[in-house]
Amino acid sequence: MAAPDLNQISEYVWELPAAGGMRVPGRVFADRQLIQQVQSDQSLVQVANVAHLPGILRYSMAMPDIHFGYGFPIGGVAAFSLDEGVVSPGGVGYDINCGCRLLATDLQVDDVKPHIKRVVDRLFHDVPSGVGASGAIDRLSRKELEKVLVRGAAWAVEQGYGSTDDLEHTEDGGALPGADPGAVGERAYARGQDQVGTLGSGNHFLEIQTVDEVFDVEAAAAYGLREGQITVMVHCGSRGFGYQVCEDSLETMASASRRYGIELPDRQLACAPVTSPEGRGYLAAMACAANYAWANRQMIMHLTEQALLQALRLSPKDLGLRLVYDVAHNIAKLETHEVAGASVDACVHRKGATRAFGPGRPEVPAGYRETGQPVLIPGDMGTASFVCKGTHEAMAQTFGSTCHGAGRVMSRSQALKRAKGRSIDRELESAGVLVRSQGHKTLAEEMPEAYKDVERVVAVMNGAGISPRVVRLRPLGVVKG
Amino acid sequence: MGERPKRWDPGARNEAYAELEHPADLFVEVWGRDLPDLFENALFALYDQMAELEGFRIERAVTIEVSGPDPEETLRSLLSEALYRFATEGFVATRAELDVKAAPEGPVWVTAHLHGETIDRRRHTLLTEVKAVTYHRLTVERNPEGGWRATVLFDV
Repeated sequence: MAAPDLNQISEYVWELPAAGGMRVPGRVFADRQLIQQVQSDQSLVQVANVAHLPGILRYSMAMPDIHFGYGFPIGGVAAFSLDEGVVSPGGVGYDINCGCRLLATDLQVDDVKPHIKRVVDRLFHDVPSGVGASGAIDRLSRKELEKVLVRGAAWAVEQGYGSTDDLEHTEDGGALPGADPGAVGERAYARGQDQVGTLGSGNHFLEIQTVDEVFDVEAAAAYGLREGQITVMVHCGSRGFGYQVCEDSLETMASASRRYGIELPDRQLACAPVTSPEGRGYLAAMACAANYAWANRQMIMHLTEQALLQALRLSPKDLGLRLVYDVAHNIAKLETHEVAGASVDACVHRKGATRAFGPGRPEVPAGYRETGQPVLIPGDMGTASFVCKGTHEAMAQTFGSTCHGAGRVMSRSQALKRAKGRSIDRELESAGVLVRSQGHKTLAEEMPEAYKDVERVVAVMNGAGISPRVVRLRPLGVVKG
Repeated sequence: MGERPKRWDPGARNEAYAELEHPADLFVEVWGRDLPDLFENALFALYDQMAELEGFRIERAVTIEVSGPDPEETLRSLLSEALYRFATEGFVATRAELDVKAAPEGPVWVTAHLHGETIDRRRHTLLTEVKAVTYHRLTVERNPEGGWRATVLFDV
């Protein structure tokens, strides 16, 4: 398929005019160099395909970290009206509520750097990672797992793993409403019983970082961040439970699409009206998986705190570990947005995109409400990650959404070829990043040069006024699956 | 059934399948003399990507039965079922016997007897976490010059 036409609207915004069956135009946020990378694969066709779906509002959007996905592109944002629109598991992805959690400490870089090896080894030992990682806590009974699905992060806090402050600092309080354990198939239960508190593999990680540059002093202070401070970032999702929920929903959605007469340019876009039994059923099961992921990251935070206390021989008070924020970047949610001057209830899909709600929104925790929601953007393991803030501009332009990371630029097999004969962990170590990984293959596939330049991706959303930078975080130590 | 199949040889993977370029996920092209051979090589590709197969012994057998309206759906179901058994039981196969019945232009039934072992993290090396077998770019076709070819995208 030929790449669709592309018109530049402003420095960072490109438009795909509505053509053929497209109901709305497409909009891509990128600079000139990133848009050239984007044009080299089929992801713009995917942006156009999403624009075919019924009830889509305003634009089929893509963030600068866009790359080719299945059905919806990764880095895609699409909102659908509740009365005419659809919900699609392909617009969320397999790893439901894959997301990011940032922890702040009272430590400075010099408190940790001399002990970094001990810290990373301890974390690597205490937080289960790698393919099929399991066993962070005892296998959960069916009844207990159902509680996880409904209560999310609050379940973990009730078990003694964290505090209610943590819930206040988690998107949706760490639990989406409407989660129905009865909407989840048996197979998801079987896969979910022993994976709460595990990192998994692939691009998931746990990172010890330091704040190396503050761009917005006021916002940084509101988020409790300052230069030289030690932070911890966790990137993972709903593990096998979420993959299975997605898998089970695709079959239902394929037949639903046919029943409701929805024409699909790609079978992985299978969907159903938001208010149909199939649409509601998916949202109820998806909420269970989202809540599983929040319980998972809450549990990992607890394991991290225990590991840091041991490795650094500190009291909890001296460590001062607290949750800055936790965001989802693979999710569909019912939100209220302003469209053409009217308040509209919409089902917003973010697949590899982060919510970036602006100041004043009731969903933003009280302490951050004047500043805007903290946005966490993980980069590759050798470079940097960012904390940004949500804005009114994001509410006006992107349904309160922004990018979610660097985005891959090189395939896994290309990366493996590039890594041949090299020692990625030694290269990273000489650059000041200590890495522990379950497998050398994952490490090679995830090497920094396999990703787009995160600085550039973040600069686009900063320049477009969607999610201005607050601080940059540099990795000191990384645990990879 | 003819001669007893040998265990899969990771050294001969270039004859069974190849990785195609994909920016984020694992996209493979699989070949086979006939449909059973194609499906067997697709199973080999899945396990070969998930684990270092050399370290696995043949200690237990798992039987998977799937069917679908066409070869594509059937292949996806077969791989998805194998992935589920990997995720829940830690089962890795290193050889398989397949019985495939295909109606012309129609449904396909597969019975796969898989032989292998449960993962032992002290002895085995796991490689890639495959999240799912997607419908995206899923193809099964007969080559004009003989034999079969399939493409499968695994979400990793």
